[in-house]
Amino acid sequence: MDPHTSVARSPFSSVVQRRRSKSYRQSYRSYVGTMSHLAYTPGFTKRRLTTCRLAPKRCSTAEMNPEQRALLVREWQLSYVTPLYRFQHGHLKTYSRQLAAFLVSERQQGVAAEVGLESTLRVTFTLVAGMAQTEEEADTVFIKIHSKTPLAPPDDPQKVLWSGWLTCVGGDPDYLRTLPEDFVCLPLFCSGGTEGLTALVKAWFQRTFDCCFGRLEINSVNLQWLAALWTDCHARTSIKQLKLVWSLPAEPPMEVIYAMHAQDTSELWRSVRQPGLREEEDDGSVGLEEVACFFKGLKSHFYRHFRVELSAGRLTQVSTALGSAKHGGRIKISNSSYMITTLTLLTECALLKMPI
Amino acid sequence: MSVLRPLSKLPDINAASVLLVENEEDFQQKLAGVMVKEKSVMVKVRLAKSLPLPAKNEQNRPRIDLVVFLINLMSALSLQSAEASLKHLGQGYFLGKVCFMVTNARHAALPAERMLAVRKLASGLRCPLLYAEDQTPDGVTNAAERLLVILRVAAGCVPMTTALFLSNLTSCIVPTEEEEQQNLDFDA
Repeated sequence: MDPHTSVARSPFSSVVQRRRSKSYRQSYRSYVGTMSHLAYTPGFTKRRLTTCRLAPKRCSTAEMNPEQRALLVREWQLSYVTPLYRFQHGHLKTYSRQLAAFLVSERQQGVAAEVGLESTLRVTFTLVAGMAQTEEEADTVFIKIHSKTPLAPPDDPQKVLWSGWLTCVGGDPDYLRTLPEDFVCLPLFCSGGTEGLTALVKAWFQRTFDCCFGRLEINSVNLQWLAALWTDCHARTSIKQLKLVWSLPAEPPMEVIYAMHAQDTSELWRSVRQPGLREEEDDGSVGLEEVACFFKGLKSHFYRHFRVELSAGRLTQVSTALGSAKHGGRIKISNSSYMITTLTLLTECALLKMPI
Repeated sequence: MSVLRPLSKLPDINAASVLLVENEEDFQQKLAGVMVKEKSVMVKVRLAKSLPLPAKNEQNRPRIDLVVFLINLMSALSLQSAEASLKHLGQGYFLGKVCFMVTNARHAALPAERMLAVRKLASGLRCPLLYAEDQTPDGVTNAAERLLVILRVAAGCVPMTTALFLSNLTSCIVPTEEEEQQNLDFDA
């Protein structure tokens, strides 16, 4: 019945009404209800795939504040987070106290209470300014867990046991506008520290803000995007070398590490990126076909020399001087200049992976 | 010369032959083992890694009723090899005698672009696209049963039904932008 109605309606209305404000997520849900065919994915999926991205923009190092510098220090494990209910940026001190109390009580569960020289925990929530790209995005929140021994002098540097941050950089403005009032969207969660503490922090967030966490893996197409975007930056900031790690399904499983000089990759990238394009005409966007062509060139070069077809395997890691990304969801950003671009891509991955 | 044609040989009575093309040569063995056990029709299964088929077997080869391309979605090479093999298939096959079967469609690490590319390929050629699970014996049996349904029709063993007729009902569809917009506007 439904397909007939939609087909019959179009000749009657000569004006196609495009509804800009309706949430496409709501219509996706009702659409799935009416039609479910084998191998018939709702049209929503087609819109999600980005075929064109803006070329990386450099942000100068002088503008970075110390909090942003803290994000460059280590390798982070990524997860996605659903929107947080009633998270207020003004109440960060309260949240720090609540989280510290929660962690201490979880630790003491099942252990006989003792008065002693146990080290206590201190939690700090800080705002990292300057990362949000539009006014609809929430500011990044950085969380640190210190351990504090009661007998140490007050100005002793405290050991950081765990750190993590929640962020939204360059999120889809249509989606952010359709969220209800009380929800704050910070879809990317990066954690660095022990697994136990990570799980406890996630449990506290789930309890307090009614959100869900999940593993975020970077699939091979996004790793290719990262490699291409980083190579594009070579003209302005040297990437030193482009290293790709592939895993091939041979018996025993073979790992191929393919490292190239930055100069060679940059020349290949320039030749792929519209041969004959002059510097002034560059409109600053990178297409998916260019990335695919770039990788086809790299793989065919490898095949010509070693007779190993890399398409049969999976790309598991990409690293340059600007950062490194692994398939399992680990990311390290080494250079502050192109941090925003990398985070925009990762935020988009998180938004796509998030269950609706 | 090296192009496979559907009607160049005479058919056998109550027999059907299928060609399974797969780059990894793994799933096709399992499928073949299940499909030859069929009793109602005598099924002959030919296995190939890619087309064109070697010329030296040309004399002994029976008439191929159905060509199935088995694509493993986790490997980009699988899809590329299937696309390259399509060029060596005669036009007569695309009237219902070609079928695509993909495995690993639900894998967590699958890039969505590859799935969309396979669906566009199948819908552009008006061929059915089947999803299979190849790791368990049950999955292999189910996949073989579905292929046998199409094979029986393609070989002419089902009265009043032709391969073209069946492919019109089962072919893969990828809607264009305008159709999607109409379908989404429906629930306003």
